Amino acid sequence: MGQTALTTQEAGRKPISALRGKIHPIVIYPFRQPAHYTDLEALYRLVARLDGDKAKYCRPVTVLDRKTHFAHKSDERFSQFRKSVVEKFSDVLDAWCVDTCQMWYGGLGAACERGQPGDVYWLIPGDFNYGSPIGQEVLSRLHDLPEIILELDQDLCIGEIATDHAHSKQLIDTYGTFALLYTWFPGEANEIRQFTERPRSEFFAIRHEFLRETLADRWFPYEQTVVMLLQAVLREKRISRFFVGNITDLPEEGETLSSALQQVERTEHVLKTLWRERHEQSLGWIETYRCLEAQSEQARRTAVTILQNALK
Amino acid sequence: MPSLNYHKPLRAINFVCLAPQAKVVSLVGDFNTWDAAAHPMKQMPDRSWLITMELKHGHHRYAFVVDGVLTLDPRAQGVTRNDKGERVSLVPVS
Repeated sequence: MGQTALTTQEAGRKPISALRGKIHPIVIYPFRQPAHYTDLEALYRLVARLDGDKAKYCRPVTVLDRKTHFAHKSDERFSQFRKSVVEKFSDVLDAWCVDTCQMWYGGLGAACERGQPGDVYWLIPGDFNYGSPIGQEVLSRLHDLPEIILELDQDLCIGEIATDHAHSKQLIDTYGTFALLYTWFPGEANEIRQFTERPRSEFFAIRHEFLRETLADRWFPYEQTVVMLLQAVLREKRISRFFVGNITDLPEEGETLSSALQQVERTEHVLKTLWRERHEQSLGWIETYRCLEAQSEQARRTAVTILQNALK
Repeated sequence: MPSLNYHKPLRAINFVCLAPQAKVVSLVGDFNTWDAAAHPMKQMPDRSWLITMELKHGHHRYAFVVDGVLTLDPRAQGVTRNDKGERVSLVPVS
C-alpha cells in the first residue's frame, strides 16, 4: 500500500492556454463517512461535471484518509461508492493524515506537482450538507472562487459562508480567532477583517505561484487558512472574498464546548509559532514575546468564558 | 475586455445604492475604466440610487462614487481590490 498512492489518470491533461491557467479541483473526502450518501452524491455530481470539462479543469483529486478507508473496508456501500463514483470522476490520493489540514497539504501538494504557473487550485471540503437545497445553491456558486482568481488575477480567494451570529463557528472566530489575531498580528488582522469575518473558511482557491510559496513554508496541521491569509497580507498578495451562501456543517461536525476550546487553543499555538518564526532573529524579541503571550492568555481566557456561556 | 468573452451574452444587472442624503452617485468599475462620469445613477422615489448595466459573463469589480467618495456596496457578493489597491465590490455575471 503506497502511503500517498495517487491513482494517476493524467491522460486528460492538455497544454495550458497561454492566456489562462487551468483549475485543479481538490476534494477533501469526509474523515467520518456520513450515514447516508445524499451530500456526497450531490458533491460528486459537481465533480463529474468538472471532470467532463477538460478544457477548463484538470482531473479532480480526492484526498481520502486511509483511516476512513480502513474503517469502512468491509462496507459494501462505501466500496461501491468509492469505485463507481469517486474513482470514476477523480484521482484518489490515499494518505495517512493527522488532521484535515494535512489532507489539504497532501491534496494541494499533489495537485501543485501536476500544475504550472497560472494554474489555480480549488479546495472543496467534502463534509458539508451539499444535498440540501441550500447546499445545492452553494455548490452552484463554488466555481466562482477559482474563476475570480483567473479572471481578476488574484492570488487567494476565500469563500465565505453566512452563519447566524450565535453559530459556534462565528462565535469562535469573533471572540477567539480575531481576538488572538489582533494580539499577535494587529496590522494584518485589520487587513484580513476588511475581507472576511471567517478567516478559518475551508472554501478557497489559490494561485499556483502563491501555493508554491505557501507549501515551501511551515505547514501547520490546523488553522491553515488563517496562516495563508496572514502570509498573503504579509507578502502583499491579492486577496478576494466571495459569498458562497448559507450552509451548515453536517450534524456529525457540530461543535461541542470542548472542540470549540480546542480550536481557540490551536489558533493561539499557530499564531505564537508564526510570530516567533518571524521575530526570533530580532534583538530583544523574547521580551516582546512574553508581553504578547500574557496578552494572548488574557484573550484566550476571555474567549473561553464567552464560549462557555454562549455554547450552553 | 478580453476577446475571449466576445461571444458571451450580455446580462442586465441592477445596481442599487442606498445613500438617501447623497447629491450625486455614480457607478464605477472595470467595465468603465473607473470613470466616475461614465455612469451616473438615478435617484428613485424611495431615494435609493439605481442604474441598470448590461455586463458580460464573468466577474466584475465595481464601486459606487457617493458625492466623490469611493464606496463599497454592502450587499455585494464579494470584496477585492482594484488596480489602485482600493477595496471594491465584486459582482458575478452568469
